[in-house]
Amino acid sequence: MKPDKMEESIITSERYIKKIDSVSSDILRNVRINRGFILWMGFLSVALAATLFAYTIQLKEGLIVTGLRDVTSWGIYIANFVFFVATSLVGMLISSVLGLSGAKWIKPIARIAEIIAVAFAAVAGLVIISDMGRPDRLPNVFLFGRVQSPILWDVTVVTTYFFVSLLLWFLPMIPDLAISRSRISDRPKFLIKAYEILSFNWIDHKKQYEILNQAVRVLLILIIPLAFAIHTVTSWLFAVTPRGGWDSSIFGPYFISGAFVSGTSAVIIAMYFFRVNYKLQKYLTEDHFEKIARVLVLVSIIYIYFNINEFLVPGYKLKSIDAVHLKELFSGHYAPLFWSVQLLGLVIPVILLLFRRMRKPFPLLIISGFVLMASWLKRFIIVVPPQAHPFLPVQNVPAEWLVYKPTLIESAVTTASLILVIMIITILSKLFPVLPIQEIAEEETRAEAEQLNSN
Amino acid sequence: MKNILLVIITLQLFIFDLKSQEWIVPDDKKSKLSTFPFDDITRKAGEKLFSVNCMSCHGTPGKGNFLNLVPPPGDPATEKIQRNSDGEIFYKITTGRGQMPSFKSVLSSPEIWNIISYLRSFNKTYQQQVMAVITSSAYPGADIGLFLLFNSSDSTVILRASATKGNSTVPVTGAEVKLLIHRTFGLLTVDEAKTTDKNGMATFRLPDNLPGDTSGNIMVSARFVNEELFGSSTKDTSLCAGIKTIPVNLVADRAMWNNVRKAPVWLILTYSLGLLTALGFIFYVLMKLRDIFIVGETLSSEKPSKEK
Ligand code: HEC
Repeated sequence: MKPDKMEESIITSERYIKKIDSVSSDILRNVRINRGFILWMGFLSVALAATLFAYTIQLKEGLIVTGLRDVTSWGIYIANFVFFVATSLVGMLISSVLGLSGAKWIKPIARIAEIIAVAFAAVAGLVIISDMGRPDRLPNVFLFGRVQSPILWDVTVVTTYFFVSLLLWFLPMIPDLAISRSRISDRPKFLIKAYEILSFNWIDHKKQYEILNQAVRVLLILIIPLAFAIHTVTSWLFAVTPRGGWDSSIFGPYFISGAFVSGTSAVIIAMYFFRVNYKLQKYLTEDHFEKIARVLVLVSIIYIYFNINEFLVPGYKLKSIDAVHLKELFSGHYAPLFWSVQLLGLVIPVILLLFRRMRKPFPLLIISGFVLMASWLKRFIIVVPPQAHPFLPVQNVPAEWLVYKPTLIESAVTTASLILVIMIITILSKLFPVLPIQEIAEEETRAEAEQLNSN
Repeated sequence: MKNILLVIITLQLFIFDLKSQEWIVPDDKKSKLSTFPFDDITRKAGEKLFSVNCMSCHGTPGKGNFLNLVPPPGDPATEKIQRNSDGEIFYKITTGRGQMPSFKSVLSSPEIWNIISYLRSFNKTYQQQVMAVITSSAYPGADIGLFLLFNSSDSTVILRASATKGNSTVPVTGAEVKLLIHRTFGLLTVDEAKTTDKNGMATFRLPDNLPGDTSGNIMVSARFVNEELFGSSTKDTSLCAGIKTIPVNLVADRAMWNNVRKAPVWLILTYSLGLLTALGFIFYVLMKLRDIFIVGETLSSEKPSKEK
C-alpha cells in the first residue's frame, strides 16, 4: 500500500502508468474463464460429487460407517480439521508478521497466502460438520452452547478468522479491481460486473489510499491475535483433557509453530504452481523462493524445538499414562509413522534447505510436498494415538474397536474437503488477479526511480 | 485301546495345561453348598451384585464381552465357568487368583451365593443341591444372635454373641468375629478380627475420622470369621459414629462445569469482550469500505477520474 510524500509523485508519474500497463497485462492474462478452467472445475465437481455421495451414505447410516468407535471417537476428520486450521494460519504469518516488520519481498506472495488462509479456514468449519453424526443438531451449538466449552470458542474464532482473512484478501485488491475492470472487456459480462461492484468506486485518489491503508493496517493487526486464538483454542480442544499425549501446557505454541510449517509449505507449493502455470517467473522470482525457503527453515526449527519439549519432558518423567503413549509412538504401533513424519517432514527438510541449491524453486517444491504431507500425518499422530489408552479400563468392547482404522467412506469425505479447498483456491486465483498489480507496479517504479537517482 | 485313551487324556490335560494353568480347588471346598435354595429373589440380588462387582471384567453373561486379560476371565454363561461345582465357584470368588480379585472382605457368603444363583440361571441343565445343615455346627440347633453397642465416649463398639435354644441363652465364646463398615463399593474391615471372651463379648475400636452421612451415621456389620462353624449370622446396625458429612452441591455456584447460566463471570467477560472487540474492528473496516465508496462517488462527480 501507499503513500508517503515521495510516493505521491510515483503514482502520478508517466513511468508508473506504463508499468501498470505491462504488469496488469502479465497478470490479467490468467484471469479468464477458458477451456482449461472449465475442464478443471468440471473434473473437480465430478470428484466432489463422488465423494459427497460417500457423505450421503454417512448421513443415512450414521458414523458407524466410519472407523470411529467408543474408544477412538476422533479420527481423520478431526486430524484434517486441525490441519486445515493450521494451514490457514499462514495468511497471518506472511501478511502481518513479515509484512508489518517491513519485509518488502512478501508483497507478491501476500495475496497467495491470503487465498490459502481463506480457502482452508472456510472448509475447516465444514470438516467439523462432517464429524457430526447428527449434523442437523449443529444449531444446538449456538442455541445451547456453553461459554465454558472450547468447542464454542473454536466455532467463534474460526468464523471470525475466516471473515477477517476474506477482508484481508479483498481490501488490498480493490485498487487492482479498479485497474482491471477497464482491461478485461473481453471477459464474461458477470465478471466485469463483479469487478465494477467490488472496486467500490475506486478512482485511485490519494484520499482513498489513505482510508484503505488505515483499514488494512487495522486488519493486519487484528488478524494476529485472531490467528493465535484460532490455533491455540484448537489445541485446547485437546489440552484441556487430562489424557496422556494431550495433557500438555505447551500445546498452544506447539500447534502454532507447527501451523507455520504446514502453511509455509502450502504457500510454497501454490507459489510454484502459479509461477509455472501462470507464467509469472518475472514476479515470483528465484529470490522469492530463496527467501521463503529461509522462512520455512526458521519455522521448522522453532517447531523442532517445541517437539523436543513436547516429548522430552514427559519422556523424562514417564508418568504411567505418558509412558504408554510415548512407547506407542517411539517403538510401538505408531513408530513407523511417527519417525517418518519427524524425519522426512521436519528434520531432513531443514538439513537439506541449508544448501543453497535446495532453495531453488523445484527442489523447494519437492521438499515442501514432503513437509505438507508430514504435517497432515502429524495431526493424525496428535489426534488418534492418545485415545487408544484412556485412564479408565476399556471394557465390554469388541476387540476390533480398539484400533482405529479409517474407512473408505471416511477417506472419501476427507477427500471432499480437500477438493473444496482446491476449488476455492482455483476460483479465487482464476477470476481475480493472483498477484497485487498496483503494489508490484509501484514497487518496480520506485526501484527504477531510485536507480535513476543514484546514477 | 485303553492305552490310546490314556494317551489322549494325558495329551488333553497337557494341552489344557499349556493354555491356562488349572485352578485347583481343595477337595473339602469343592463340595461346599449354598445354605439356601436359589430362587428369583436370590437371582435378582445376584444380578445386581454381579453388575457392580464382576461385570467390569467378566462382561455380560452370554455376550462373551469379557476383558482381554491373561488368563482370560471368561464368560460366566459358558462351559468354562459352568463346569465348576458350586463349591468351586464359591472358592474362586472368595480367594481370587492373579487378576481375579479376592472378594472375601467385599462380599458376604450369602451375597456370593446370590451371585452363584444368578450365574447358574444361564445353565439350563443345572440342578441345585442345598446344604442340609443351615445353622451353627458349634451350637447345634441354636439360633445365633449378634448384638452391637456403640460407646461414643471412647469410640468403641462392643459386640455380644449369644446362642438361643428354647428358653436358654448362652454366650458364644471363643468365636472369631469381625466388624465391617459399608461403603459405596464393598465393605471396609475396621480394627482387627477379635475373639469373643467368656461373656461372648468383643470390643472394636473405631477410628474417629470416619465419614458418616448428614447426621453422622454409618452402617456397620458384624460377622463370624468362621461361618462354617457359627453360621452366617450377621448384624447390620446404623451407628452414630462418623463425622457429619454434608455433601457439597457441586452445581450450586458458578463453575467451569456448570451450565451456561452459571458460567464463571470472568469467562463470560473475556469471551464477550474478545468477540465484541473483534466485531468492532470488523465493523470499523466495513465503515472504511463505505467511506472509500463515498469518496469515490463524490470525487468522480466533481472531476473526471484518471481511469477511463
Ligand atoms: C479385575 C477383573 C475381575 C473382576 C472384577 C472379577 N473377575 Fe473373576 N476372573 C478374572 C480373571 C482374570 C479370571 C481368571 C483367573 C485365572 O484363571 O487365573 C477370573 C476367574 C473367575 C472365575 C473362575 C473361572 C474358571 O475358569 O474357573 C470365576 C468363577 C469368576 N472369576 C467369578 C467372578 C465373580 C462372580 C466376580 C464378581 C464378584 C468376578 N469374577 C470379578 C477377573 C475378574
